[in-house]
Amino acid sequence: MKTSKTLYLDITGIVLAALIALVCGFAVILVTSSDPLAAIKSLLVDPLSNWFNVGTILNKAVPLIFTGLALSVAFQSGVFSMGAEGQLYVGGFLGSLIAISLPGLSPWIHLPLIFVCAMIGGALFGAIPGYLKAYLNANEIVTTLMLNFVATLGTSYFVNNVFKDPSSGGYARMEFFEKDLLLGKIIPGFSAHAGILIAILAVVVVHLLMYKTKLGYELRLVGKNSQFAAYGGIKTKRVIIYSIMIGGALAGLAGIVEILGVHGTYKDNFSNGLGFDGIIIALLARNNPIGVLVAALFYAYIQVGAQTMQMGSDMPRELAVIIQVMLVLLVSAQAIFTYLKQRYAKDQKAVK
Amino acid sequence: MTILLEMKEIHKVYPNGTAANRGIDLTVREGEIHALVGENGAGKSTLMKILFGLEAPTSGTIAYRGSPLKLQGPRDAIRQGMGMVHQHFMLAPSLTVAENIVLGDELRRGPLSMFRDQLKEQDEIRKLIETYGLKVDPLEKVEHIPVGQKQRVEILKVLYRGAKLIILDEPTAVLTPQETDELFHSIKALIGQGHTIIFITHKLREVMEISDRVTVLRAGKTIATLETKNTNQEEISRLMVGRDVLFSVEKRPAEPKDTVLSVRRLNAVNEKGAPVLRDVSLEIRQGEILGIAGVEGNGQTELVEVLTGLHPASSGEALYFGENLIGKSVAEIRAMKVGHVPEDRQTSGACLTSSIAENLILDHYRNPEFTWGPFIHKKKMKEFAKVMMQLFDVRAASEEAMAGSLSGGNLQKVVIARELSKNPKLLIASQPTRGVDIGAIEFIHREIVKRRDGGAAVLLVSAELSEVMSLSDRIAVIYNGEIVAVLDNDESLTEQEIGYYMLGVKKQQKEVAAP
Amino acid sequence: MLNAIWNQIVDLTIVVVLFRFMTPILLAALGGLISDIAGVINISLEGLMLLSAFTSIAVCSGTGSWALGIAAGAAVAVAVSYAIGFFSIRLKVDIIIAGFAVNIFGSGFTIFMMNKMYGQAGNYSPPDLHNIPNVNIPFLEHVPVIGKLLSGHSLMVWAAFILVAFCVALIYKTPYGVHLRAVGEAPDAAKSVGIPVRRVQYSALAWSGLFAGLAGAYLSTGMTSMFVKDMTAGTGFLALAVVLLGNRNPIGILIGSFIFGLASAVTTIVQTIPGSQYPTQFIQMIPYVVTILALVFFALRKKRRHALAV
Repeated sequence: MKTSKTLYLDITGIVLAALIALVCGFAVILVTSSDPLAAIKSLLVDPLSNWFNVGTILNKAVPLIFTGLALSVAFQSGVFSMGAEGQLYVGGFLGSLIAISLPGLSPWIHLPLIFVCAMIGGALFGAIPGYLKAYLNANEIVTTLMLNFVATLGTSYFVNNVFKDPSSGGYARMEFFEKDLLLGKIIPGFSAHAGILIAILAVVVVHLLMYKTKLGYELRLVGKNSQFAAYGGIKTKRVIIYSIMIGGALAGLAGIVEILGVHGTYKDNFSNGLGFDGIIIALLARNNPIGVLVAALFYAYIQVGAQTMQMGSDMPRELAVIIQVMLVLLVSAQAIFTYLKQRYAKDQKAVK
Repeated sequence: MTILLEMKEIHKVYPNGTAANRGIDLTVREGEIHALVGENGAGKSTLMKILFGLEAPTSGTIAYRGSPLKLQGPRDAIRQGMGMVHQHFMLAPSLTVAENIVLGDELRRGPLSMFRDQLKEQDEIRKLIETYGLKVDPLEKVEHIPVGQKQRVEILKVLYRGAKLIILDEPTAVLTPQETDELFHSIKALIGQGHTIIFITHKLREVMEISDRVTVLRAGKTIATLETKNTNQEEISRLMVGRDVLFSVEKRPAEPKDTVLSVRRLNAVNEKGAPVLRDVSLEIRQGEILGIAGVEGNGQTELVEVLTGLHPASSGEALYFGENLIGKSVAEIRAMKVGHVPEDRQTSGACLTSSIAENLILDHYRNPEFTWGPFIHKKKMKEFAKVMMQLFDVRAASEEAMAGSLSGGNLQKVVIARELSKNPKLLIASQPTRGVDIGAIEFIHREIVKRRDGGAAVLLVSAELSEVMSLSDRIAVIYNGEIVAVLDNDESLTEQEIGYYMLGVKKQQKEVAAP
Repeated sequence: MLNAIWNQIVDLTIVVVLFRFMTPILLAALGGLISDIAGVINISLEGLMLLSAFTSIAVCSGTGSWALGIAAGAAVAVAVSYAIGFFSIRLKVDIIIAGFAVNIFGSGFTIFMMNKMYGQAGNYSPPDLHNIPNVNIPFLEHVPVIGKLLSGHSLMVWAAFILVAFCVALIYKTPYGVHLRAVGEAPDAAKSVGIPVRRVQYSALAWSGLFAGLAGAYLSTGMTSMFVKDMTAGTGFLALAVVLLGNRNPIGILIGSFIFGLASAVTTIVQTIPGSQYPTQFIQMIPYVVTILALVFFALRKKRRHALAV
């Protein structure tokens, strides 16, 4: 828990960073677009101009919330995992296997089973770098990056060769799931699928886990000061493995929810970087679950805005990348935040 | 003899308000070995940082060879002909000895050449090695040579840069007696070649053995500068420690009862495999305070860590009410009502980026009283924190304030509160009052005595001899990982007496030391 | 299938393919090596390569000069590396995050520019591109075996091999090289003798930019004659793995690149064999699995040494 003042400073800083990042994006538009105002308008206004686009924002935010949560849990315990992408594939793959291999099962049993298996898949795949870090001191940044490739390539092989739907042609995917397994729309006619509800539930659960439970206390303590945690009798190695496994389970959920809500089946390379976007989300949110929700929505808004901009102007949607990168760099610039806090402290003193 | 260096009225106040130097005078003559002694925190290292340009003095003057000296950084000091051999070696392990020595001042094959002239470098180094008798292989990698040779590399480094005045910061702290002898040999050779040495230490035997003059610092001030041949260890140690005991603790005579902890022939090694505890045997009973006196780094840290489950023992046992603590986990030992105030509250004792409440709950968050299934009962936790803060007089905005925002004294009270909150039967307190204000010191001392009177056994480890003497009922002196004496703390016991044991001058006979 | 591979080994096509694949890995890894030695790990090789690949093909097709193309690509990569330095050293962004950001940036910005400049979304292949030339060695090129082994490779292939020697000289034979190593390993020690630690770190990042820039330029104007979005496809991460496996030494990097290049070459050959059903994914996986296994191996060895000491 932070005291309200530092929390306030942090939020102000992040909002400022977001504004500066947006301004950077505008600058590029001004320089390169023939009609900058139309481009900026289609970037900022169009995503909110109709319900379909709002639904798209929600749908885009869903996997980002999960991967953002996944990485925020890992980061809070001092594990710099970059492995959500791989965990997402493994979890999504395992969940999908369950989905296609038990036809006829009641969805009330089937669906929970699919979720559980997706979580287990992600968690077990996360346990590998967790174990390597805790007991062999192997750098988790490297192991998770490498394991991402292993997961992507491995699942790609299976979906191309073993579990490929014969009718899928050149595009590798499994056979489509039964309709009643898929996540329906929240409100008929509104494009958002039920994944957003699960995602919000996940935010609440992770918030409770991190801030209200014994395990969350241990997770955060190990991340903040593992020496203190060890002094207090906490088994720090085990906690590190737990944290990355919880992250893996959440990443697995990201995969399966995306599949059930958007794709309808497991498709080769369906994620295309959701796990890496999660890193950005977690950084923007300062690892706070509620923050993850906000950051993911903002991020999805920018992404949808980039798409509407691509349709409504001469700007390609990759412009969003400039905004994202500036956002990441500014929000992570410790020097700037330390400076802000010192300035604030000085001002406070001057007032006294 | 001409005066080489004169530091006058040096004051240094750090931005956080700590006054490390409060008026130090130091005069070094050319060609002498000048010992600089003082307890930890007496201001030695700050003074040397100022001399070497690593810190700027708040006030005071430095004159070198008669002219005033203004240093912007170590580079300036080096240019002036000063060299410092740091206590923690400044060496890159994977580079060779030669590469480390010439680092930053490499020789090139020609004025326009890109390339190092390694042969010429090695020639120069061999010449130095020969001149000063500092034997070391220039082509060996630093990570492969023993500590004594690493130190030679450091000395060669300053000689290569043409240093005339060489500062040795506790050079013998990491050396074996044999290596120390060789070092002294080299130092004498350096003097023979016209160098001047400032030798920082707190080992008085070495002061007597090697120095020409000695300056004693205490609490940031120069106490005296003496000709070594006109003084003795007793006088120096008296000057170092100071006669006046700063504070006295009111306490009744101890009424020790049953044995709580019985340590038998405990041995332990550090990460490098060197022994740090040698056959340590101790006994602590209910209602008594056993103080461990000793110069820091003689095994106190490891003793505490072994007893609390943080460091493995290689042999021996520690029976706590008959049950062996060795091999138990930290959590198990804590659950057995052993309280532990760690020596470093900043890193081990507290999590500075967590709230006070979260710091206080560390020992209780698994306790059913504070939990509800997998959840921590936040309200009870906060109430508990409030009560503790009141009981232990922790002054902070609220229990939600960050531990890092507390002053040293208040933070230490949080640590003490947590460790006492479970009514420990054994309290292991390591440096319980280090760096805290006088008010907090008194408070903490009263709490410790109160626990003793309540029937707890207390193991007190402190680098402050005065603290050990004013609190303890019995005093065990540790030297080089060994308990060299166990003394009753009565009227007849003097600081000098303990000092001899602490510095390894005296040693109790085994049968007396054994309980 | 083994037969087909064997044929390619016998007629030395595999060597040609191997050299093509190992060159970008080798170049990028040399860059990663220098920054790694100086303690400023640059994980943005992937993004730097993309930026350079695009810049160099754009400049090359615009000016008709492959040399200018390479120079421009490398210049952009060096500039971006300086930016990484600014953010990580000055603004204290974790260098991993800074590198990660550049990877995203490299991927997105090149697509953005391709779209803006050429109106293309997926790939850009200018006609009549003046590629980095191949070096045909007179007389030798007609000698069997040796001719195919030595002649006809791109200039950049040769440059990569020469740069290995250059790195050996730079790291081990110059004062600067010693400073690099000292800064990476013991910054306090370096500082205590007056070495400007930050400046050395900036320069190390610049080197990594230069090398990654060469690697990227080769991808678009040597290995192929086009820019495809995300055309690095993990090469930068392979290079990162090579840095780890290469034992922090240019020769180790050479060997590592050879192994990883071979895995890529075999993958390509297998993929091009008609009707092949072989799991190329697992061949592609080899470098990554090897990296993890090597990390585990190093860790176990360290642990055992430690245990022996105790």
